[in-house]
Amino acid sequence: MSDDKTLAETLAQRGISRRSFLKFCASIASLMAMPPAMAVEMAEKLAAARRQSVVYLSFQECTGCLESLTRSHSPKLEDLIFDAISLDYQETLVACAGHFAEHILKEAIEKNDGKFILMVDGSIPLKDGGIYSTIAGRTNLDILEWVAPHAAAVIAVGSCAAFGGIPKANPNPTGAVAVSDIIKDKPIINVPGCPPIPVVITGVIAHYLTMGTIPDLDELGRPKVFFGDSIHDRCYRRPFYDQGKFAKSFDDEGARNGWCLFELGCKGPTTHNACATTKWNGGVSFPIESGHGCLGCSEPDFWDAGSFYTALSAPTKDVANWAAIGVAAGAAIGVAAGIANRSTKTETKRTRKPLTVDDLKGKPKS
Amino acid sequence: MSTSLQQGLAAMIDKIDAPIASFFNSCVHCGMCADACLFYTETGDPKYTPIHKLEPLRKVWYREFTLEGRLLKMFGLAKAPTDAELVEWETLIYDSCTLCGRCSMVCPVGNDIVYMVRKVREGMVASGHAPAGLKEATVRSIEIGSPMGVTADTLRAQIKHAAKDTGLDIPLDKAGVDYLLLMSSAEIMQFPEFMGAAAQIFHQAGVSWTLSSTAYEATNSGMQIGSSELAAVLVKRIVDAAEKLKVKTVISPECGHAYTALRWEGPNLVGRPFTFKVKHILEVLDELRAEGKLRTEGLETERMTFHDPCQLVRRGGVHDQPRNLLRMVAPDYVEMEDAGNMNWCCGGGGGVSANERAEPLRIKVFSRKKKQLDKIGVSAMVTACSNCRNMLEEGLEHNHMDIKVLSLTELIAEHLAK
Repeated sequence: MSDDKTLAETLAQRGISRRSFLKFCASIASLMAMPPAMAVEMAEKLAAARRQSVVYLSFQECTGCLESLTRSHSPKLEDLIFDAISLDYQETLVACAGHFAEHILKEAIEKNDGKFILMVDGSIPLKDGGIYSTIAGRTNLDILEWVAPHAAAVIAVGSCAAFGGIPKANPNPTGAVAVSDIIKDKPIINVPGCPPIPVVITGVIAHYLTMGTIPDLDELGRPKVFFGDSIHDRCYRRPFYDQGKFAKSFDDEGARNGWCLFELGCKGPTTHNACATTKWNGGVSFPIESGHGCLGCSEPDFWDAGSFYTALSAPTKDVANWAAIGVAAGAAIGVAAGIANRSTKTETKRTRKPLTVDDLKGKPKS
Repeated sequence: MSTSLQQGLAAMIDKIDAPIASFFNSCVHCGMCADACLFYTETGDPKYTPIHKLEPLRKVWYREFTLEGRLLKMFGLAKAPTDAELVEWETLIYDSCTLCGRCSMVCPVGNDIVYMVRKVREGMVASGHAPAGLKEATVRSIEIGSPMGVTADTLRAQIKHAAKDTGLDIPLDKAGVDYLLLMSSAEIMQFPEFMGAAAQIFHQAGVSWTLSSTAYEATNSGMQIGSSELAAVLVKRIVDAAEKLKVKTVISPECGHAYTALRWEGPNLVGRPFTFKVKHILEVLDELRAEGKLRTEGLETERMTFHDPCQLVRRGGVHDQPRNLLRMVAPDYVEMEDAGNMNWCCGGGGGVSANERAEPLRIKVFSRKKKQLDKIGVSAMVTACSNCRNMLEEGLEHNHMDIKVLSLTELIAEHLAK
């Protein structure tokens, strides 16, 4: 699949003008909070870049992330950028099958050893020796541990690869873990979301191609430029929240007026993603704009964070029970302290003689 | 063994209670109590910060009643106060605290610092570190019946004088009356007019009253020295007499701490509710006024002010009564700055007046009262506490200030309608 054409040549072949390409670079640059001058530099660097080799491994996943990246909407620049990279191995997209496909993977690794970007989609099951997800008879763990050491960097695509996702949801029957739980010695960029926003993926790749580095990451390994703000902070319905105007059901006056969905369970305030800024389907809309609260899919363990329709302010766990236990424990400690203090006092009272006038006169006690 | 460090520490452990624990826990070390204390404001010495005066008690509490303190004690790291420390603190706790309670008023977390000082004194007296003057006064109270050594015979002699002066019968040990009037030794010995004044007022009001030959002394040195055990002995004397005579109400005279000791601490000291009411003489006079039984004539021409005794106004809530009474006879009545709940102490309450060692300091801090008085320019100051009267007179004399100090009860008696 790989050839020696530059990105600019590939794009030209596809009928993408330099003007459109610059526009793309400018939008990526602004999205990533780079200075405007960077857009031109980025365009030049990207245009001159040889196609970056990418190996895409699919583990315990639903292929939704790949769908999002490749087929979200009819040809757009980011799809073409994605096209224009040298996607050397992707088992869903690869033309051949069986031993040939596995041979291609081996070849890709050897050819670009230490240079390719490894994209991982899906979590890795560890329970029972990892038998719950295997490819060509090898467990996901085995494959990851084989491929990852040869990669330049790892991009964990989607919430499953980034945090374990839905496979890891309670009770986690397969013992699913995230890429970062296994790979410790490679830079890992988490691009969570169920699925993630396509432009975030292309943005990260563009950053890598332009700068040769990975972008600044937050404490969860997510690129800060895309995951720095919460959905809530960037939500167009935020003014209603500030005014205390809430939809109480999906079909009341508040819902029709487009008021805040907080009370209907919107997880926007605790979710960090770029949905409210980049939106989906070519900037058409995003869940809240369509009238449904955010599910919080780009946050760890979002599946176990209580009902999608329970307000964030409501407890998700059995608080009453734990509170009762806490009160009982506190009372027990209090009683114990009380008994200890009482014994101190009782002992003192027993041994102490009350003060008398003789004491004041300095006479010995009879 | 009579008094010792061990006895002192044991007394503190014995007297530390839930309020003390919560107060020490709550203290945020803001230091606001310093500016409320006249010993600090008039000297500027930080050692007079009220909460600092409690350090020995805090140490005992921390070591005996907190988990951290107990653990440290196990390893010998939490030290109990030493005898040398108690010696150092004796002057802080007895000479520079009049139990006036101004600090309790300003504490932002509501710590009753006076309550805490009382507990420190429990340990101080049990460890033998109480001032000699207070010890002697307490011994006289217990053994003779009065801190100044006034006996029942002295009382009888004064009754004779008062009866002769007023031409009225002054009942002694009369059962079944409305009021049992207590006296303070200062009133019996230094201000004998008080007895006659009370007799005239009660006569005009037509209420029945009596004095008692066994419970004539209202003051409670046990409370001042800080021994709840000795204070209880003195309170019990009054309770026994009042119950034997079956009086409805016991009147605490013009004395501050006597009222606190009997009314607020009394039932706790003897361990049961009283069968009678306890009221301050000003409360009784104001009730009689409200009922129309107290009628006066003639007005004072002098500019006057009222000095609120700390124990009455702050600890007892007797605020409006003296003002109601004073307005009956003194049209040119003005208030001092900080009058009422935040009035400044005369400097000699809480046993300080019985402590000779404290005299220079007490005279020094009178500067606060002087500042209050200088602003209003009065020629007479009325009060309702014999101890305040003594202290104010001394302070005024020392500062060459020509201001008379009057008893409110006596002032009212002088104006009784004929």
